[in-house]
Amino acid sequence: MSGEKAPTGRKRPRKRGRFLPYILLSPLVLFIGALALYPTILTTVQAFFTVNPLDPPTRFSGLANFRALFHNPFVRESAANTALYIVVGVGLSTLFGLGIALMLQRRSRWRGVVLALVVLPWALPAVVESVIWGWIYDPTFGVLNSVLKSLGLINSYHVWVGIGRIVSIVLIEFVQVWQITPLAALLILAALQSIPQELYEAARVDGAGRWEMFRRITLPLVRPGLAVAMVESLILSLNVFDQVYVLNGFAPGGASIMMQTYQISFNNLNFGQGYALSLLATFATMLLSLLILAVVYRRVEF
Amino acid sequence: MTHIRLHRPRHGAVPLLLTLVVLAALVAVVAACGGSTSASTSPSAAATTSSGVLPSPTAGSSITVVYHYPSPPKSVLDQFTAQTGVKVNWVEVGWDNLQTKIATAATSNTYFADLTDVDWSKVGQYYKTKWFLPLNPYFDVATLKADMPQIDTFASNGQQLALPFDSSFTVTTLNTKIAKAAGVSGTPATLTDYTNALKQIKAKGAVPNPLDIPFAAAEGLSTYWYQLTAAYGGQVLDASYAPQFTSPSSAGYKALQWMVNAYKTGLVPKANIGMTDYQAFTSEVAQGRVASVFSDYSGSVGSIYDVPSSSKVVGQVQYIATPGVSGPAPNLSNPDGIGIPKTAKNVAGALAFIKWFTDTQQQAIWAGLNGSSDVISGFPLPARVSSLQLLAQGNKVSGASELMTLLGSSRAEFPGPGAPPWYSQFSNAVYTNIHQAAAGAETVQQAVTNIATQVNQLKASQ
Repeated sequence: MSGEKAPTGRKRPRKRGRFLPYILLSPLVLFIGALALYPTILTTVQAFFTVNPLDPPTRFSGLANFRALFHNPFVRESAANTALYIVVGVGLSTLFGLGIALMLQRRSRWRGVVLALVVLPWALPAVVESVIWGWIYDPTFGVLNSVLKSLGLINSYHVWVGIGRIVSIVLIEFVQVWQITPLAALLILAALQSIPQELYEAARVDGAGRWEMFRRITLPLVRPGLAVAMVESLILSLNVFDQVYVLNGFAPGGASIMMQTYQISFNNLNFGQGYALSLLATFATMLLSLLILAVVYRRVEF
Repeated sequence: MTHIRLHRPRHGAVPLLLTLVVLAALVAVVAACGGSTSASTSPSAAATTSSGVLPSPTAGSSITVVYHYPSPPKSVLDQFTAQTGVKVNWVEVGWDNLQTKIATAATSNTYFADLTDVDWSKVGQYYKTKWFLPLNPYFDVATLKADMPQIDTFASNGQQLALPFDSSFTVTTLNTKIAKAAGVSGTPATLTDYTNALKQIKAKGAVPNPLDIPFAAAEGLSTYWYQLTAAYGGQVLDASYAPQFTSPSSAGYKALQWMVNAYKTGLVPKANIGMTDYQAFTSEVAQGRVASVFSDYSGSVGSIYDVPSSSKVVGQVQYIATPGVSGPAPNLSNPDGIGIPKTAKNVAGALAFIKWFTDTQQQAIWAGLNGSSDVISGFPLPARVSSLQLLAQGNKVSGASELMTLLGSSRAEFPGPGAPPWYSQFSNAVYTNIHQAAAGAETVQQAVTNIATQVNQLKASQ
């Protein structure tokens, strides 16, 4: 009856194999559960409570935190600022990322070196980059003033960050763009490299020029990469903090929504409102991500 | 042949979307998550003793001191260990991070230190939140007051929440070399003289922008306004925390107008709109680019301007009596305190350390009595007059005798009740609106109205 024993012998390793993926995934699940899921649940619940050591005890307050936030002029201003950070951040990083990816796609002996140089800003901490750019924008000694003056574009040195709201935000966000563009470029480059060369060869045979090939082959087929890059830029721009803090402090003309969250939570000790603002920021991130995916993302099958 | 199909995202996009959602949640939530509050529990019990008598620390125990100053030299800390048997673990954390750490540890009822910073501006908040152990049972505050003029800064409603770690007050500094080069004779004694001297320095071209005001939206800007308001003969809030600056004839209004005018007329460098106090001290005053700081800090001359490796104005900057309307104005206290968080584990050891650290001899040592090897780097001034006397006798601190006089006449910004529990929000409203007024985004009238509105809302919410 050896024929009956054989299937039993095969079952055991199969059973072990069935649990193996779960065992391997469990550290990650625990990690995400502890650091993302639990705080998310806690934040969601506490957003509806008054949690303030200066106004004890902790108690249910319904939508009061949200109402207070909508009536807070600093929150409204920082939300408008953050919208501008997002427009500049997503727009410029996608544009520069696409340009860099197209350049890197070309075969060249310097490609490796260029790739390493391009990735460098991504590897540096945001605070370090902000300090470096702070020197560039410095109204007394900054390179920006020096270059613009030597080119005859300005007559005297200007204060760039801190005076005009829009100029301040654009220049601060440019520092973040400088940092996140390499990531966008790499994501788009990966999408570019997955496009079959036969398509370009066929287009060439049909007489298509470079612009025509870019418009009709590259751009449509790189959309998955573009969508991911744009969502990454969106998340980073919406959460901008370090660059704003180093370059402009807590000046309301440049304060982002994350700075307001920090101020409300840790300066004002109003943790309930801090939770509520975090929750709103999370929803905004999700909605805008969905919007980008709906408009830009297309699944491509070759 | 290659087939290509483009689809609107359906189930294929779901894993990506889920990843993004989790990532977004993680980023946003971690940025704001501060832990939940819980009812405060009583601090680690130390035997309550009669005033001035401390419980004996346990030999072989240890304490953790978390502070925004570097550690004193190990050899000096070892002396404390030899005397008491308590080992000291000193952790340096930047001021901003430390305030966040204190708040998060207290709200989550978690131990992080046996001793830490009590900033003068947080005293009202700590009184209300009960995050620090009152020291009245252990120290004879009334007796200490004679030698520690700024001890009241750390008391709220009769509770002594810390002892002074150092002494510090706002004081006017003047680069006498620049002033002389512009033909300014003598020391300006009144605000009118002072303003005229600045205009003269600018007109003569000794420096293009002679005055430092740090207009970055930060605490240093608020402090500057308080000091200037005191110089105009008033204070920003009264004893019941009502705004005292809304009338154009009030001291606070005039002070704010003076600051904004100084910026708009070029007495202050344009770059100062984004400069914090310390940035301006090091990059402008220490480089000889401005001539005066109306609201400087006691200790700046010795620790910044007279340091040859980083300053170009060694020996040129002096403390002067702060000019007021008709003579010297009061100097406002802004010292650091050292206190015991409610979650401290070794209260007896912490009390012994406070006593030792604030002793006359030790305070003088931190400021340089035994030479540079035993100092705490950046330590401004001793908390005790008797320590300053020791330093003055040995000529160990720049301007020690002037500082001793100024320390004696310094007063708390919020005398009586101490800083309000909502001081952080108040200061935030002050510095953002002054910054906006200087940047041209608001008028002075709008700035004072906005600050007053915020104060009234904060008062009403308590």
